[in-house]
Amino acid sequence: MGTHRVATTRPVATTPTALTPRERVSRALARKPHDRIPMFDWWWMETEIAYLRELNDPRIAYEFSSPGVDAAHVARRGEGLTLWEYFELDLLQVGWPDQRLRMVDPVVLDESDEWIVQRDGNDATLRWWKHRMGTPEHIGFGINSPDKWNAAKASLQASRERIRWSEFIPKYRRARKDDRFVCYATVEVIESAKDSLGHEQMLRAILKQPEWVHGVFDTYTRFLIDMFELACSNGLECDGAFVYGDIAYKNGPFMSPRHYREFVQPYHRRLFDAFHARGMPVIFHSDGDIRPILDDLIAAGVDMINPLESRAGMDVRELAPRCGDRVGFCGNIDVTILATNDREQIRAEVQSKLAAAMPHNGYMYHSDHSIPPGVRLDTYLFLLDEVRRLGRYG
Amino acid sequence: MSTTAILESLQSAIIDGDEQKAPQFVQTALADKLDAQTILEKGLLAGMAVVGQRFRDGDYFLPEVLISAEAMKAAMTVLSPMLKAQNVKARATAVVGTVRGDLHDIGKNLVAIMLEGAGFEVIDLGVDVPPEKFAQACRDRKVDLVAMSALLTTTMPEMESAIRMLQRELPNPPPVIIGGAPVTQQYADRIGAAGYGRDAASGAEVARGLCAKAG
Repeated sequence: MGTHRVATTRPVATTPTALTPRERVSRALARKPHDRIPMFDWWWMETEIAYLRELNDPRIAYEFSSPGVDAAHVARRGEGLTLWEYFELDLLQVGWPDQRLRMVDPVVLDESDEWIVQRDGNDATLRWWKHRMGTPEHIGFGINSPDKWNAAKASLQASRERIRWSEFIPKYRRARKDDRFVCYATVEVIESAKDSLGHEQMLRAILKQPEWVHGVFDTYTRFLIDMFELACSNGLECDGAFVYGDIAYKNGPFMSPRHYREFVQPYHRRLFDAFHARGMPVIFHSDGDIRPILDDLIAAGVDMINPLESRAGMDVRELAPRCGDRVGFCGNIDVTILATNDREQIRAEVQSKLAAAMPHNGYMYHSDHSIPPGVRLDTYLFLLDEVRRLGRYG
Repeated sequence: MSTTAILESLQSAIIDGDEQKAPQFVQTALADKLDAQTILEKGLLAGMAVVGQRFRDGDYFLPEVLISAEAMKAAMTVLSPMLKAQNVKARATAVVGTVRGDLHDIGKNLVAIMLEGAGFEVIDLGVDVPPEKFAQACRDRKVDLVAMSALLTTTMPEMESAIRMLQRELPNPPPVIIGGAPVTQQYADRIGAAGYGRDAASGAEVARGLCAKAG
């Protein structure tokens, strides 16, 4: 593994008393005592590429999925270690069902060296960067009326082709062998509907066409649960669920708490109940400031929240005392501090957040968003070491 | 219906986001011989000022703002020809855009909505706007303010590049306000932006203040 210390093999249970990653995450989700805080993370694609180049280890697989990414990288999916395994993180994700209305190849409408404009299976026209991650430009949404939605929704049926089995089966088998905690990763109603209706139309429709919104959310929820059951019956039996649903931005939730309770919470509850029925706790991801709806999310069945974006005012030091007995926290390590590459600042950040979160037994390391390209690999390795050192109980 | 009642009804239609009633009340006001500028300022802009205030106060969220913008747009289709006929000018002209390398448009669109609601004429340059394009837009016509948006920490430095270019290329560069998820007041101060908008409504408020100061 060259000169890097972290690298390697199958690490984790080095002493008889140490927990396996699966046991560690399970206990953190149940807010029960464990040996050290578990760890998980995401990186911006540019960061991932930079780390992969620097590590230069043929045993690592590429995991890119944005449009336009070098096809050779995509072709290597499923082979070799992922960065999560390479960095010895405790959790792996499988699943990620494709929730496009129609499973068709996107139609390229325009492109340059830098970007590509595509009309996709949701009949949405979006402009994507080719070589970096990021939110696309929303050019247009073909589903712009209840009639068009009703015509299109018939094709939203659970099917095997909606899961990338060749990527996830090898990953799942390795995770089971290493006793990592395996999460079924999926989106929820907001994340699904914004892809087909667009944020602006979806949010306007909450007030102007409430029955349509309920119909859309009901359809997506049924589909997402069907996909989950299909995954289970095809061998992806997971330990927990990681549900992605950006429902807030820097200044607060997209919608009022009242509208969250009326339009979204019932569908969140249904989805989360499906996971709970199989004994799987739910980690819920939303960027932004979700504090105004945090209690409602907990009431819907969220067991742990992620990523607690610092710049949006989310702070585990405030939240853990307030509701650490009811929900766990995964994240909140400020990427802007990591990007300084200043080890003293980073140590102080980790120390201060862990000191507040650890007493509740319900904390998992994650940055407060995704690791940005400015965070050098040596800094990142230092961070992981510090989290392992400072995150040890007892 | 008295003049006051008509204007109040128009304001309410904007505040409630009623895109059917808003243009109807504009028509009622015009039929009542109210001048276009009064209808604009005391009806539409007054209504949008309430929307902005409620958004800043946390009483309104994105759905409410979006439907109010729709109502304003519907009202403007009726009022715009009259504004033109009566030679009513906008309070100021603002150029808005998301900076180079960033394709995010929702935040920028909200700022455009709020600026229009504050009486600005908005020239929307779209997303992925290079510094040269901001400068060119300011050369092409008299611009009172530039508003830049960025979603990503990686694209935020483009704001500084654009500000430097405006300072370098224009004899009298307009003030620049910035906003977006990673942006802070400290960052605005550091790169020499004239203002920072914590959210779209605050941005419009800052923009109005800057343009009023400039006279």
